Amino acid sequence: MADLASRITKPDETPAAAAATENAVDDPTEGSNSKGIIESSYDVEVKLADLQNDTDSPLYSVNSFEELGLPKAINEGLLAMNFKKPSKIQEKALPLMISNPPTNMIAQSQSGTGKTAAFVLTVLARVDFSQPQQPQALLLAPSRELARQIQGVIMTVGQFCENLIVEAAIPGSISRELGVRASVVVGTPGTVMDLIRRRQFDVSQLKVLVIDEADNMLDQQGLGEQCVRVKGMLPKTIQILLFSATFPEKVHNFARKFAPNANEIKLRQQELTVKGISQMYMDCPDEIQKYEILCKLYGLMTVGSSVIFVRTRESANEIQRRMEADGHKVSALHGAFEGQNRDALLDDFRAGRSKVLITTNVLARGIDVSSVSMVINYDIPMKGPGDREPDHETYLHRIGRTGRFGRVGVSISFVYDKKSFDALSQIANFYGIDLIQLSPDDWDATEKKVQDVIKSSRAKPDYAPNALGN
Amino acid sequence: MQRGSPSPARRSQFAASPQRPLSEIFDEGRNSEARHRLVLEASQKEHIRVREEAERILNETLLRDEQQRVLEERQREERRIRAEEQLASERVRLNALKAKKVEIPPLLPDPEPPAAPPAAVNGKATPTTTSQPAAATARADGPSTQPTVPTQVNGSTLLKSQQTPAAQPLANPITSNAPVPAATPTPALSSPKPTSSALGINGLLNNNVAVNGTNAPPATSMATPPPQPPAQDRYTEIHKNLKALRRSMVDQAKNNQLLKNRMGDMRREIRKCVGQLVSGVPSKNRGQQQTIVGLLREALANQVGSQLVDPSSFVLAPRNPIQNAIHNDPVLPSLFIYLLNIFAKAAVSQFINEASARPETADPVGVCIAAAFSEPDFLWRGVSMIEILLAKLRIVCPVLFGYRGSEKTEQGRQRLGWWKDHGRWIPEQQHMDRMTGLGAGFAAISLRKFAQSKKQNPFPARHYWTAMARIVNTPPAEISNTQCIVLKAMVQNYESKFIESYGNAAIAALRTALIEFPAKATEKSAAVSSLQVLAQVLKRDTGLILG
Repeated sequence: MADLASRITKPDETPAAAAATENAVDDPTEGSNSKGIIESSYDVEVKLADLQNDTDSPLYSVNSFEELGLPKAINEGLLAMNFKKPSKIQEKALPLMISNPPTNMIAQSQSGTGKTAAFVLTVLARVDFSQPQQPQALLLAPSRELARQIQGVIMTVGQFCENLIVEAAIPGSISRELGVRASVVVGTPGTVMDLIRRRQFDVSQLKVLVIDEADNMLDQQGLGEQCVRVKGMLPKTIQILLFSATFPEKVHNFARKFAPNANEIKLRQQELTVKGISQMYMDCPDEIQKYEILCKLYGLMTVGSSVIFVRTRESANEIQRRMEADGHKVSALHGAFEGQNRDALLDDFRAGRSKVLITTNVLARGIDVSSVSMVINYDIPMKGPGDREPDHETYLHRIGRTGRFGRVGVSISFVYDKKSFDALSQIANFYGIDLIQLSPDDWDATEKKVQDVIKSSRAKPDYAPNALGN
Repeated sequence: MQRGSPSPARRSQFAASPQRPLSEIFDEGRNSEARHRLVLEASQKEHIRVREEAERILNETLLRDEQQRVLEERQREERRIRAEEQLASERVRLNALKAKKVEIPPLLPDPEPPAAPPAAVNGKATPTTTSQPAAATARADGPSTQPTVPTQVNGSTLLKSQQTPAAQPLANPITSNAPVPAATPTPALSSPKPTSSALGINGLLNNNVAVNGTNAPPATSMATPPPQPPAQDRYTEIHKNLKALRRSMVDQAKNNQLLKNRMGDMRREIRKCVGQLVSGVPSKNRGQQQTIVGLLREALANQVGSQLVDPSSFVLAPRNPIQNAIHNDPVLPSLFIYLLNIFAKAAVSQFINEASARPETADPVGVCIAAAFSEPDFLWRGVSMIEILLAKLRIVCPVLFGYRGSEKTEQGRQRLGWWKDHGRWIPEQQHMDRMTGLGAGFAAISLRKFAQSKKQNPFPARHYWTAMARIVNTPPAEISNTQCIVLKAMVQNYESKFIESYGNAAIAALRTALIEFPAKATEKSAAVSSLQVLAQVLKRDTGLILG
């Protein structure tokens, strides 16, 4: 993004060109190519029994939301949100998901490509709004933050649907007396299970079950078990949709059992490093100087909102202190805060009242704040006993907090010793990323480098829009 | 009853009796059958008579009632008809008014200035009504010949062709190279008789806008500066000059260690501050604003000894020294201009990168821009240097300045400001996001209230009006998605500020923008429909009914 600033300053390109063509009449033949020129493509493999590889089949691909035949109210909600065209995953997955008879779906697509909207549309398309208090769709998410976020998306997309009631089945939000009285329910598996057991959640009419961040949900011991139990309590005919940015093979097998006979949409592994994100690392002389260097980063490029991932609460608090002294509005979100405090902190960040979010891993997955333009790995994500192994999946989910929906994002990882350097190298090797080194010695030079990196990462041939069909 | 009021027959009977006193009474036949029958007959007749009489009277009464009823009904109907007629005629008048205002003709870059008179007509036609501003813009509904002509041509030749070339010489002397004869400013006529549509608008707006929609005497402050050249392309020139300035700063820094030490830090500090601005409570941004103003002031003091430059290269029209101006010299420190430029760049970049995803984040940036550019000691010869920012906007979002083109052609895209990355057009989504951010940013800058401030608004609301008029007056076939996106972003979240500035005229303009403009577009794309959806959202959220 910073590069944008610098590119803005290169005006002559456009005007000069315009001048050159001063007397030229627009060439309408350009039109034939233009479609290809515009479209950036995420290569999506569609695996279908009867339509293998036929991604261009008009039956299974749509060019506008209107062509999907979604109800008018939903379409208007999309327009109000500035959604003009389906993303690739939406274009491919939606027709399969909303067709009848309902078929299960396992979909994997990188962060920020519109997975949430895809299943939200399916849910809304299946709900019968004449029964606003009868639960008809259930969505499960791994954390209360994510559940609330999804709830927000449903209400925004459905803003023109009359009688749409969406409830979050998370601790402390469903009335004990009344139970669930909504057509769409978004929740965490534990709470949902309790509600069903207490007979406060009538599941008899449920038509759709969506599991977001499915790899995480099905993989983790506790969550996976709960998901299976919840599923056991639901009608057998329910349509099951599983979504995630990553699907490790063993989870994938499990997913196939969980959602039998599903259509599958999947990205190849090496494409998963989010292409629009410029990934860099900062070579810090020692751990202490990381604080100061962190503050300097904000002058190097235009930053909207940013997320800083740290390992411990203590460093989260210290960073917060320093950054506030430097004029930033900061939310620090970590395990020390409980439920509704966490909600409030995250709401501040979402609403733009604070623009820096410091967090431990709570947030790595799924949280979508569209204006996040920089993600900082203040500590490299590690896993395993004694944090010995680099955690590449978490790295991927973390940097996926920026560059949402084709926007430009930057990630900067801090290294300061051999361990952190080795860990980051392994992650980079795993995904085949070229991480660019930055140094805190000469800020003029670093600024220029950052700007160049942002520019060039977009110029990579595979990221640059391809002419489709050429 | 009978007893109380004996019928005439009965009376005659009694009356008769005295005449034949006892004879009858004592007559033997008194109780005869014949007599009995006779009497019976008589009473029968009497009965029938009474009955008939009663029926007659009843009928009469019924008739009278009926008449009364009909009469009343008739009167009611008449009243209703009268009312309806009144309403109808009023509505006809209203429609006529509406129709009048609606035809806001395309403005700007259109070559065909329907001769001067139209403006004058507008001027007097509806001086006070809300339709005025709209009508004003309505004037030059240009022939759509223009589309194929690259805009630059529009900028210059169009204006050249105007029939008031005489005025031209006045245009900015600065630009010796000016291919931009543009500014054919009819020197601030008190009654604006715009020669070109663009000019017309400016002229008109100069007059009434300053007034904020109500009529007021031509605001002298607006009118006084030498005729403002609407010449858009002066902006690209300014933009080039700024680029050259930045290069020169780099060169200066090579030989000026003091400058080198400070310049980068100042630049990064400004960028950081702009990035730190948050929505919501304005007071939270005071620190950032003060830091930015402080840095600019430091640059103005020029202790690092940057070279002095002629600010004329960075403003639209030449400026003459004026009384009481803090800076009247023909030069200012280059570092100051440079940092203004950095500040403008940072703001625009923030629009593109942040407001693109969340348009509401543009607002605090707009506040900060307006506050800094209006600082009295940052004015040059009494006028703000905001043209530095506008030059940037002109490059990245030309549709705000009346340029248009087809998204399906190379040249069209160029004119629309569709960005290119290493020779390739950026993806559509990204382009539309940028336009969203820039539209919101433009509104954030141009709809600031200075009523309570001693400072002078560097970019008053008439510019917003003008930009909107330029978009909505596009001939239907040439309406582009880019324009719709920019228009939507300009309106969303700013409807109330716009209405505060223009009152009913703003509502009329919103109707044009959100109802009529999308309705007339020949291609009903998602971008077009999203304008209509915005009208619905406004209705739902604010109760503002436009359609």
